[in-house]
Amino acid sequence: MEKAKISAKQLFVLVVLFEMGSAILVGFPLNLKQDAWVAVLLGMAMGVGLFFVYYRLFLYFPDLPLTSYLEKIIGKWPGRIMAYFYILYFAYLAARVLRDFGELLTSTIYTHTPLFFLMSLMIITNAYAIQKGFEVIARVGELFFVVVYLMAIGGFFLIIFSGLIHLENLKPVLESDWIQILKTTFKGTLTFPFGEMVVFTMLLPYLNQAKKAKLVCISGMILSGINFTIATIINITTLGIDLFMRSPYPLLSTISRIQLFNFIERLDVLFMIYLMIAGFIKVAIFYYAAVAGTASLFQFKDYRTISLPIGILILLTALMIASNYTEHIREGLDIVPIYLHWPLQIIVPCLLLVIAFFRNRRKQSKEAAS
Amino acid sequence: MSILTKMLKKKQVQRKNDNFRQKLDHSIPGELLIHKDYQENISRIKGELGNSADLGIRELKIGPYQGALLFIDGLVDGKGINEFILETLMDKKVPIEEFDLFQFVLDQTVALGSVSTITNWNELFDKLLSGCSIILLNGCNKAISGETRGGETRSIAEPTQQLSIRGPKDAFTETLRTNTALIRRRIKSPNLWIESMKIGRVTQTDIAIMYVKGIADEEIVNEVKQRLNRIDIDAILDSGYVEQLIEEQTFTSFPTTYHTERPDVVSSQLLEGRIAIVADGSPFVLTVPAVFVQFFQAPDDYYSRFDLSTSVRMLRILAFFIALIGPSLYIAATTFHQEMIPTTLAIAIAAQRENVPFPAFVEALIMEVTFEILREAGLRLPRAVGQAVSIVGALVIGQAAVQASIVSPVMVIVVSITAIANFSTPVFAMAISARLLRFALMALAALVGFFGIMLGLIVMAIHLCSLRSFGVPYMSPVAPFSGENQQDVFIRYPIWALKYRPRHIARGNIVRTGENQKPAPPKHGNSHESDDTKGN
Repeated sequence: MEKAKISAKQLFVLVVLFEMGSAILVGFPLNLKQDAWVAVLLGMAMGVGLFFVYYRLFLYFPDLPLTSYLEKIIGKWPGRIMAYFYILYFAYLAARVLRDFGELLTSTIYTHTPLFFLMSLMIITNAYAIQKGFEVIARVGELFFVVVYLMAIGGFFLIIFSGLIHLENLKPVLESDWIQILKTTFKGTLTFPFGEMVVFTMLLPYLNQAKKAKLVCISGMILSGINFTIATIINITTLGIDLFMRSPYPLLSTISRIQLFNFIERLDVLFMIYLMIAGFIKVAIFYYAAVAGTASLFQFKDYRTISLPIGILILLTALMIASNYTEHIREGLDIVPIYLHWPLQIIVPCLLLVIAFFRNRRKQSKEAAS
Repeated sequence: MSILTKMLKKKQVQRKNDNFRQKLDHSIPGELLIHKDYQENISRIKGELGNSADLGIRELKIGPYQGALLFIDGLVDGKGINEFILETLMDKKVPIEEFDLFQFVLDQTVALGSVSTITNWNELFDKLLSGCSIILLNGCNKAISGETRGGETRSIAEPTQQLSIRGPKDAFTETLRTNTALIRRRIKSPNLWIESMKIGRVTQTDIAIMYVKGIADEEIVNEVKQRLNRIDIDAILDSGYVEQLIEEQTFTSFPTTYHTERPDVVSSQLLEGRIAIVADGSPFVLTVPAVFVQFFQAPDDYYSRFDLSTSVRMLRILAFFIALIGPSLYIAATTFHQEMIPTTLAIAIAAQRENVPFPAFVEALIMEVTFEILREAGLRLPRAVGQAVSIVGALVIGQAAVQASIVSPVMVIVVSITAIANFSTPVFAMAISARLLRFALMALAALVGFFGIMLGLIVMAIHLCSLRSFGVPYMSPVAPFSGENQQDVFIRYPIWALKYRPRHIARGNIVRTGENQKPAPPKHGNSHESDDTKGN
């Protein structure tokens, strides 16, 4: 494990940027129509609940990342195999996010530029960050957080002043029944983006004040959840349900509607800048988790030696996971949640917690007996 | 095979020879003691210096005893030697009874502030070559050195690089002692400590480390000393040599040490807990550790009121970004993102570019390179020619290039704005860094537009965040962010609110100001009342 230490502020920034990374691009629960925001809020609440599972695990092993304490909980070989799956999972998610951004760029601005070229530029940037270490990633996040937030607030006010918001689009509230909402929440918003906090089980040991982990992560999740909700509501109210459901990137469509004084218009590029920063952080975190996990599992002395090979793997995966955008999105919203997110984000951590709980109790009772 | 071994052998022999020569270089007289016979000593000195013409030898007699005065002409203050050594030595009546000649001369005749006894040759040459006078006495195996440093030096002048509207107008000179005195004059505290050392095998340059004891971080002070001690090089001709030998990372375009020619800036940095390195022969003093934001703080910021200086500082940061990404924004907007430009302007630009045969990137590159050449030439040209060249440059860049359809008029505007913006960075080292990175960003913009610029900026941010200057993160206090150190970053707080020294640099004595420093009108001041009564 790299000897890095990050502060509570830095962790908070990373959590917020991570959560809002690609969710704000493709993560809207479109099938709920005007009630999408309810699912986002519910997802956040459940995500916070889920985070407590990860947090309890972290409390049992405050100095170890997930891939290392798996061995301690379920034994050496099962733990290693499980850790291997987690590494693949993180690398796969990094590839998914990379593909998300590559697709966004090729379908909007760079229609003539090859997807591979854009994604390789991005992964090179990420590889450079990984080379520099986790502390540097945290600092970069801190540096860009202000930029991102100022842009988000600026965009928010511009939308309001442009008179685009029609609150009546939100009515009728709760048209879809609760079962449908819960179903969408479990399948969609809980796992993506909030369940993806599972990657932070790899990063929490770097925090310099372990006590603050709970507060920081949960407040970060809540803040990003609220932002996400606001973004959903703004999208619905500006675009109307019809466009909201049809548009491939609802937020992009919303932003390009801004028109003020015949001068402030076509702000899509600003949105791109925002997404590039958030996407960079999100890919970097998954990428780093995969690299750090590999290094600890296969006992590399220096994780830097494997950062570039894993980067190339991520790049190739991102190219191969789908033949086109529709396929990529369908995989991401229908298949991955059930076959990957649910087992690895929810089932395995819960089982781990239960086993760890009983093991710990046995140990304690033994100590008490002796 | 045999050729290879031969070559290897040849190389080894060469290396051996080099090492041998190296040892020869080092063959200074060593720790040998001074001889009793003064004539022998003189001839030895002459021999070592190769009968150099500037060695002055004055043989003299003190009563019955013989001796000699040696000095390097031009390094010493001739008047001082005449008045305080020669006159007193010759006038002195030698006591008749038994006495210690050496102690007598040392104590009673040499009327100088700083006198010392020398016993070995190393020390003797050291003193002699740094401008002291040496007195050799027959029959004594010791010598006396008197501090007579002088000679011609440049006097204190106005700064030429870092000008300010308001504030002191003196700048450092090439003399180490003058420079340390300029700082000492501003900080009259016993806690201002100066430590000195000599670096440079051949040049034996004096280096002084200055810091305020109790404010500066001891660890950093030790680190500075360690890094300076590590230096083993033949010459230190300017503080720039020192800078390049002690910085943390060579492969970066950003300066990780700060240099200035203004004593007021050094003083303020010393009081922030930084450490100054003064090198003899250089009018630029280094201060470490340096952080990124520091390069946007100009001395004027502190001498004028805070609202003005804050807005000017914001302007400077904006200018830095214009200098960095100005041309690349133009390239990206014209080649990839035409929709960003308002329609009428887009049409106008397109019409202008109609006649230009090059893509925007080539156009920008031509103009930028031309401008950089002009600027570089302007630096070196004699003053009389400089003006002519600048006129030619202005005409060529401004008009002829446009009329010849090599570049479009908008490009000229972009280049000019970029150039002017570049000059607004207070420290040249940072400005030149933006100048360099601009070309990389231009290439990225030509490749993939805004996406490329953004990636370039992200890489730049990663690089900046990974830099450290003497252990202090380069981007602090922004990243890692510390709220309590934001007083002097983007917003320069009023002087009375600059309550603490920067915590990421200073260690002790953090509080700068007393309580209630905020100026306010007196509460029912007496003067007002007396005015009132007068009115009645």
